[in-house]
Amino acid sequence: MMRRKRMLEGLDEDIRDHIARETQDNLERGMTPQEARYAAMRKFGNVMRVKEETREVWSVVWLEQLWQDIRYGLRMLRKSPGFSAVAILTLALGIGANTAIFSLIDAVMLRSLPVENPSQLVLLQWAARNSPNVHGYQSAGDCANDMRLGAKNPGGCSFSEPMFREIAKANVFSATAAFANSGRLNLTGNGAAAVINGQLVSGDFFHTLGLKAATGRLIDTTDDMPSAAPVAVLNYGYWQSAFGGSRDVVGRTIELNSVPFTIVGVAEQRFTGITPGSDYDVWLPLSDAQRITPLMRWRDRQSDASYWWLTIIGRLKPETQLAQAQAPVSGLFRNEMLHGAVPLFHDGAAGTPPPMPGAPAGGNVAISMSAVPQRTPGAGSVQIASGGPPPSAGNKPVIIAGPPGAAPAGGAHGSAAADGRKNLSPEDNPEIKLAPAPSGLTGSRTRYSNPLYVLMLVVGIILLIACANVAGLMLARSAARQKEMAVRLALGAGRARIVRQLLTESVMLSVLGGVLGILFAYWGAHTILSFVSSNQPRPLGFATGVDLRVLGFTAAISLLTGILFGIAPTLRSARVDLTPALKEGTGSSETTGHARGKWFSIGNALVVAQVALAIVVLVAAGLLVRTLANLRSVDVGFDSHNILIFGIDPTLIGYKGPQADSLYRDLQGRLAETPGVTAASYSMMPLLSSGLMITGFHWPGTPQDQESEADALGVGPNFFETMRIPFLIGRGFTASDFKLSVANDGATPTSAPTPVIVNHAFVEKYLGKENPLGKRFGQAEATADEPANAGFEIIGVVRDAKYNDLRREIHAMMYMPQRFGGATFELRTAADPQALLPTVRETVAQVNTNLPLYDVKTESEQIDRLLFQERLVARLSGFFALLALVLACVGLYGLLSYEVSRRTREIGIRMALGAHQGNVMKLVLRQGFVLAIVGAAVGIGAALSVTRYLASMLYNVRASDPTTLAGVAVLLAFVALAACYIPARRAMRVDPIDALRHE
Amino acid sequence: MSTKEDRERIELLQGTLDLLILQTLLLSPAHGHAIAKAIEFRSEDVLQVEQGSLYPALHRLIKRGWISVEEGTSENNRRAKFYRLTPKGRRQLTVETRKWHKLAGAIARILRPREQEGES
Repeated sequence: MMRRKRMLEGLDEDIRDHIARETQDNLERGMTPQEARYAAMRKFGNVMRVKEETREVWSVVWLEQLWQDIRYGLRMLRKSPGFSAVAILTLALGIGANTAIFSLIDAVMLRSLPVENPSQLVLLQWAARNSPNVHGYQSAGDCANDMRLGAKNPGGCSFSEPMFREIAKANVFSATAAFANSGRLNLTGNGAAAVINGQLVSGDFFHTLGLKAATGRLIDTTDDMPSAAPVAVLNYGYWQSAFGGSRDVVGRTIELNSVPFTIVGVAEQRFTGITPGSDYDVWLPLSDAQRITPLMRWRDRQSDASYWWLTIIGRLKPETQLAQAQAPVSGLFRNEMLHGAVPLFHDGAAGTPPPMPGAPAGGNVAISMSAVPQRTPGAGSVQIASGGPPPSAGNKPVIIAGPPGAAPAGGAHGSAAADGRKNLSPEDNPEIKLAPAPSGLTGSRTRYSNPLYVLMLVVGIILLIACANVAGLMLARSAARQKEMAVRLALGAGRARIVRQLLTESVMLSVLGGVLGILFAYWGAHTILSFVSSNQPRPLGFATGVDLRVLGFTAAISLLTGILFGIAPTLRSARVDLTPALKEGTGSSETTGHARGKWFSIGNALVVAQVALAIVVLVAAGLLVRTLANLRSVDVGFDSHNILIFGIDPTLIGYKGPQADSLYRDLQGRLAETPGVTAASYSMMPLLSSGLMITGFHWPGTPQDQESEADALGVGPNFFETMRIPFLIGRGFTASDFKLSVANDGATPTSAPTPVIVNHAFVEKYLGKENPLGKRFGQAEATADEPANAGFEIIGVVRDAKYNDLRREIHAMMYMPQRFGGATFELRTAADPQALLPTVRETVAQVNTNLPLYDVKTESEQIDRLLFQERLVARLSGFFALLALVLACVGLYGLLSYEVSRRTREIGIRMALGAHQGNVMKLVLRQGFVLAIVGAAVGIGAALSVTRYLASMLYNVRASDPTTLAGVAVLLAFVALAACYIPARRAMRVDPIDALRHE
Repeated sequence: MSTKEDRERIELLQGTLDLLILQTLLLSPAHGHAIAKAIEFRSEDVLQVEQGSLYPALHRLIKRGWISVEEGTSENNRRAKFYRLTPKGRRQLTVETRKWHKLAGAIARILRPREQEGES
């Protein structure tokens, strides 16, 4: 291009010079000036032509031809607006659906971390052959953790603070940072009290990530010191919504869990958290961890090498490779684990964790790792809950609390079992592996990857159907354009050129479809994300946008689509036999025998393909819809209608155990008397919120070091009546039961066992025919570190009810009197639960104005949230399945329509020879039905082989479920019938005389 | 191109003009007008280039990389574009010359018997 311009630039001047020289020569030869010039110009020749010829030397032939093709193609498309509109719309739907799902995949899985140079960041992950013997282990789901007892090759990404400090000092990375979930924070000082999420970060965190402040400044190393004043950095979105985005927020003081913090700045807009899907409201320095954690929940994490709670990331030094940095870090870790002050690895008797009074926030709480078996059996219970609502819910967050270093008011439960701990043996092979942060920090990604892949497959099939559809349209159209092709060929156009031009037309169609499709996609992806977001307890930290990758994807599939559906009709067009095509009198209705046969089968094949693909999608959607229906109709064991639930956590504002306990009972009493409330109670966590706690204990009669386990839930008075879980035998909890329970959890437990209520499954598992009432279990003798434990006594049995999840079967379960920590209240209302909300808030405020409610919803909504993945997939696949069905039937209709008009003459002849209207109709219907049946057969075969990949997502329905297959087949039969109807009627109404004259 | 006698116009193929230009530039670089004159002169006025057709030919040769162009000053101190043979062009000249001789020889062989007949 540039060369061409350069070369042609001086051409005019060169020509003038040339002529001038010739003129000069002529003058020297003796001509007059006028003669000289005239002779020179004549000798030169036609200047214009010379210029043109020279320009042509530099022209890029193919580019000009392409431009010609495009203009011609546009003209042709404008000539048949109906065809163009239908084709473009069909393509837009197919391409748009693909783009929408891809943009979601891009937002969730492919987009890189919103930090500077993410490829340089690495995540530290530990691995060993046995689980470490730690006091406590906490993870917020940033990466894949496996801390189950007895798990082979456990691993995770949580470390202790001393380990972090050592690694940072070792100077292996150019910058090292650590972070952890801060747990629920009660915010006061900015209007009404609220509960927010925060993240504790080390001083170097923002520097490691290379982030800037939107206003003010970010946390730095001077803030991360015990003597530094507490500061906070706000999330940009939170700043906008809660503080109105006003700049004077810098320097303001707020209270988090009654501790004053000064806001020093706001993070940049695109940063909501380092882990995909996370959305924290505020960042605080690590040194303030103790200040904001309720005393009861505090273990001295910051100097305890055996409390692992920090996720560590580092930025590689410029010249260092990942493997180079890994060796020293791993060596350091190994050394510390094997030879350090507190050896941490061994395979078994570790300390017994006391029951941790943390109420896991609704949603995304992991299953515990079963309790650690003890040398000295005791009432060990394992934790489950996360210390606060984990914003990222991909990997299940885990807390395993060990015996506290600093004993809280609750006393030191569980045995430290120092004698039980073996030294870390080298066979355990503890090591650190470095993973690139973008892939190591999985966060919520794993949660969404399954449904996204299923959807990608579905929309891919839709696109194929759309292509087949448009190919069919183009074939029909090409038959009509035969004359045009013949003329062009006769005039000397090369077949290659024609093929190129027709392909250009198809690609143009698909590009136009793609442009329209992007609009569909944008709207669609946005809708899907808001649906997903509205079903999370926290806003989703993913944002779609039409970025370059998505546009590139769209462009690529538009191009491929155009070529794919254009190839067959194009090749067929270019192979037109000239003579018959040019002859007058033979319309498009008759071509030579061969060509006709071929077209016939391609058109049919396309329709069969469309029907088959549509069946696959329909079957998949049917299975997923049935799964959803099955899940919804599961008997949960309690009455889930008309229940309002909300959480409160008085420990965040300084309530101690017994105080909190009496607060709950007070509140329960008041709420129970509120008009409109039929019954009120509370529990440690709401049912069916995916939160789960499992407890370990020793069952009398089993070997001393064998541990039994059961699901456990702390409940308040009147719980079973409120939830309508019937008693089978025995009684509920009384006030004295609660007092006893609180006492047993204190520093000096009584000698009376804690009363518990168990479910039917518990009785079946542990008691058999024995009378459950009065049975005692879980006793523990006194040890060096803890007093004797009187264990539990069964006082009642209730009917089985689901606990955390609809899919999980019912396990043995015991209900205990709720002791302390956060709680969720359940109110059974006479009418619409939401209507009572203002009254409820008022009632709570009457008790304490600084006590905000969080996670307010109805139980039905809770179940909806639990099922949101199934709902999403069922809705979307249902929508796409119907789309596929419509497209396939439009394809069938189009083909039959075309056939009828093509064979009008033949139909006329038949009728003239005596065929009835019925016979003609049968002719059309037969073709339609044969196509539909063949398509269905192929489709069902394909469906059976494809749906087995869905098996993990299904519930109570097999991948090869015959009812679904039959249902889909019947649906198809009806729709096919409808598609055949109009062409059949048209065939019937053919007037023989007109038909015979028809060309 | 045409010969002096307009009655006997000899059509020259496009490729032949390219060959003549390359040969002309073998000795030294020259500007467009000089090339035209050189061809006339060396063919002893048998070949008279329609000078305009020189330019498309020159640009074709530039595009193929057989000649290159540069600014320079001509004999009478005027600015002009000078064309120069490139090494590639030099090689191509040998090839084309050989092809031409082959062609000419073949045609001559065909024509000889007829001439002999004509004579005898």
